Amino acid sequence: MLVIALVAVALVSMVSDRRALMAGGRELPWGAGAILDLAVPVQKLIAMPAGIVRDAWRHYLDLVGVQEENERLRARLARLAEDNLQLQEALVASGRLQQIAEMRDDFEIPMLPSELVGGDVSPWFRSVSFDRGLGDGVRSGMPVISEDGLVGLVTAVSQRASRTMLLLDRQSAVDGTVQRSRARGIVRGRGSDELEFEFVVRGGDVRVGDIVITSGLGGVYPKGLRIGQVTAVSDPGARLLQTATVAPAVDFGRLEQVFVMLRRGPTMELLYEAGEPGVTADAASPKPAS
Amino acid sequence: MKPALALLLLGAVAIMFQGAASGLLATRFIPDLGFLIVVAVGARWRSLPGGLVLAALIGYAADLLSGSLLGQHALLRMLAFLAARVASRSLNLRGSLPQAVFVGLLTLLNALGVAVLTSFFAPPGAVFGLPPANALLTHAGINAAIAPLVALGTDRVLALVSDEDAGRRLLRFESRRAA
Repeated sequence: MLVIALVAVALVSMVSDRRALMAGGRELPWGAGAILDLAVPVQKLIAMPAGIVRDAWRHYLDLVGVQEENERLRARLARLAEDNLQLQEALVASGRLQQIAEMRDDFEIPMLPSELVGGDVSPWFRSVSFDRGLGDGVRSGMPVISEDGLVGLVTAVSQRASRTMLLLDRQSAVDGTVQRSRARGIVRGRGSDELEFEFVVRGGDVRVGDIVITSGLGGVYPKGLRIGQVTAVSDPGARLLQTATVAPAVDFGRLEQVFVMLRRGPTMELLYEAGEPGVTADAASPKPAS
Repeated sequence: MKPALALLLLGAVAIMFQGAASGLLATRFIPDLGFLIVVAVGARWRSLPGGLVLAALIGYAADLLSGSLLGQHALLRMLAFLAARVASRSLNLRGSLPQAVFVGLLTLLNALGVAVLTSFFAPPGAVFGLPPANALLTHAGINAAIAPLVALGTDRVLALVSDEDAGRRLLRFESRRAA
């Protein structure tokens, strides 16, 4: 009898959790949230010695190649400065520079820095927990990014902590676009360190080396966030859908600090759309913020 | 009651340790300590209700620190507990080698359980099969290698708590006799 009751409770819990996830809100109940909150300081404490050793090793490795990297970065900086100048010239010529500057002032994106405190306890899922929660304004469904690109999506929140499903998780699906050809498709996690980009063969111009960004369609992630780079394209054969392998822009093995986007929706889309080259003036015209 | 609380605490700390370690290392190289404690308890614990509740709570704690649905690990941990309990009646799960082999096989079955449950509750369009064979076998091997150690640790905790209880009972008995 007890076995049946416990199994029933677990199944009901799973069904209601799935419903909450699909509805976009998954704030953990008090007891469960308290466990997640408690896990943050405990996990920080446990990870501290290993973190110190790892940081020392990384700093050493960083120092080894610093001169070479410095030269490389200087060359890159010079190239970017030149590109920037050319883009500014083009924007001034099209009269859009002032418009974009005004928009950035109007729509400041609140970004909350957050620190990784732990990974997933199961090897079959790819999620991480961060030390920011409801008390800091984090809610389920908010995108999480790092300086390199898209990290994932907040899926559970307690008062002082949150869990984020990484792009790599097999339950993750993001509407993506190839930056060069604008070919659209779905980027899915494989549970490994690579992603899968599924797109329609007809008109889908995807090549190795292409950058894949979020399309903004699908309503979860804002447009223009970097997802990764195409490393291989499969042979479609007679199928309508073709897949490409994408290396994530973010190095998830070295993920330590991220930013939670505290707002999403049309306002964000507008800003990213306006920041992209080659977008018509209509797309950048102000829309009402939701 | 005390052994149950001690094991629950051990399970909770083990899961938090697992979570902290997986932030530093690929998860397939980290033993599933919560799972191993549940299996060790299943092979030793006499109380079925107590063991089941313990397994469910350890599983639920794992759900909170994982991308799974709440209740998914709880259900699988209960099944693992029952499997260990049933197997321990006809197999010698006290020896290191049989223990390791049993845990290795149970880890594979557990992965199958994860895949089935996740596919069942997956959103439309999502495909959730078994994890890659190399990851699966690596994880099963690591769990199998660590299982005897975790069982030993679980034994120690149980013995420690039971000794304390026994000592206290003896003290009460002695004081009653003295009175």
